[in-house]
Amino acid sequence: MEKRLICLGACITVTAFILAFALIYTGIVPLAPTGNRPLATMFLESTFNAEKWWIWAGSPEVVTSILWDYRGIDTVYETTVFFLAIIGAITVVRTMKLLPETSGKGKGLTVIAKTITKITFAAIPIIAFSIAVHGHLTPGGGFQAGSAFAVAPLLVIAALSLRLLVERGWEKERLLALRTTGLILIGIIAIIVPVLAILRHSIAYIMQNQAKLWAPAGLSAIVNVFGIKSLLSGTLFWLNLSEFLAVSAGLSLVFVLLAAPTKNFDKEVKVQ
Amino acid sequence: MIKDIVWIYYYASLILITFMSIYGIAVRPNLLKKIIMLSILSDTANMLAVLLGYHTLSPKPPVYPGGTFSTTQFPSQRQLSTFAQYAVDPIPQVLVVTAIVIGLAVLVFLSFVAVLIYRRYGTLDMRVVSKKARQEVK
Repeated sequence: MEKRLICLGACITVTAFILAFALIYTGIVPLAPTGNRPLATMFLESTFNAEKWWIWAGSPEVVTSILWDYRGIDTVYETTVFFLAIIGAITVVRTMKLLPETSGKGKGLTVIAKTITKITFAAIPIIAFSIAVHGHLTPGGGFQAGSAFAVAPLLVIAALSLRLLVERGWEKERLLALRTTGLILIGIIAIIVPVLAILRHSIAYIMQNQAKLWAPAGLSAIVNVFGIKSLLSGTLFWLNLSEFLAVSAGLSLVFVLLAAPTKNFDKEVKVQ
Repeated sequence: MIKDIVWIYYYASLILITFMSIYGIAVRPNLLKKIIMLSILSDTANMLAVLLGYHTLSPKPPVYPGGTFSTTQFPSQRQLSTFAQYAVDPIPQVLVVTAIVIGLAVLVFLSFVAVLIYRRYGTLDMRVVSKKARQEVK
């Protein structure tokens, strides 16, 4: 058995090196390229280029611009896939009632761990919100911020208890409602530019951000917020905030459900 | 020559991790280990995509520097051309963000299915689970 495993390991190592060598020297993958491809250069030059206003996205963050503007519908469907996965997970545990009495003893770890967790529980959501709000200016965005936020309930489950989290109102139905609200907000922002365009007897596409030559409608990149000119990049800011709400609520829901004691599950699914 | 060897090493290690995770998915009997190996496989694929967008000419993140909420002056064409020369390819990064979310969705669903299977059969060993399931059908 040992000899067989060692043979297998040696074989796949040699195969990996031969494949890497072949991939590089047949030109399929680049060997230390010193420049960008034309498509990448096009995106990098046009995203924040106010002179080419018909293809710009109004945001210095090229990744967020491609994610929510150039390939916006793709991202909406991706969010929907994640939502469907959560719906599927809830379907598996649909008869489970998560009450404070049935969610563990609520003992938690030592006082030191609890105190540290309380401090970080205050800090993590603030950082996550900052990542979401600056999603169109610095690296990051709605999804990254939501993933960062979901660490907070996970820490509370590990160090304090699930019971405390459920007592404080992190219930299944409420988190699912927040998740759905985020998705509905994304849907509303997706159609807000076409609706505005129809009201002005113009045309626009779904998920359109800035005005195009052939569809002259869009939210302006710089908005007056309480008398201060702010760069909000049209729909990108609002889409990042909605995605933050959706992903943070969805991931928190998943963690709460996965941490629930198994005796809460459906009685029909018995241990054999 | 050393640069060639380093790049062959990058690609070879990624391909090696791919092989190892496929081995884990196919051969390991424990469902939890299969799920872990599947997530490692998707992360390796994402890493390969990001590596394809990398270049060695003093790479910078694909974010135009200095953007804040109070930015009202947009950069000129010449500044943007310089930026486009040094920033790395943003398209693989966008695809990877999408792929991570899809991978997370798959992971969430698979972990709930694993909880259900453990609840029903009392084990995650797929050999035992398939034997018990076959007995149930009979």
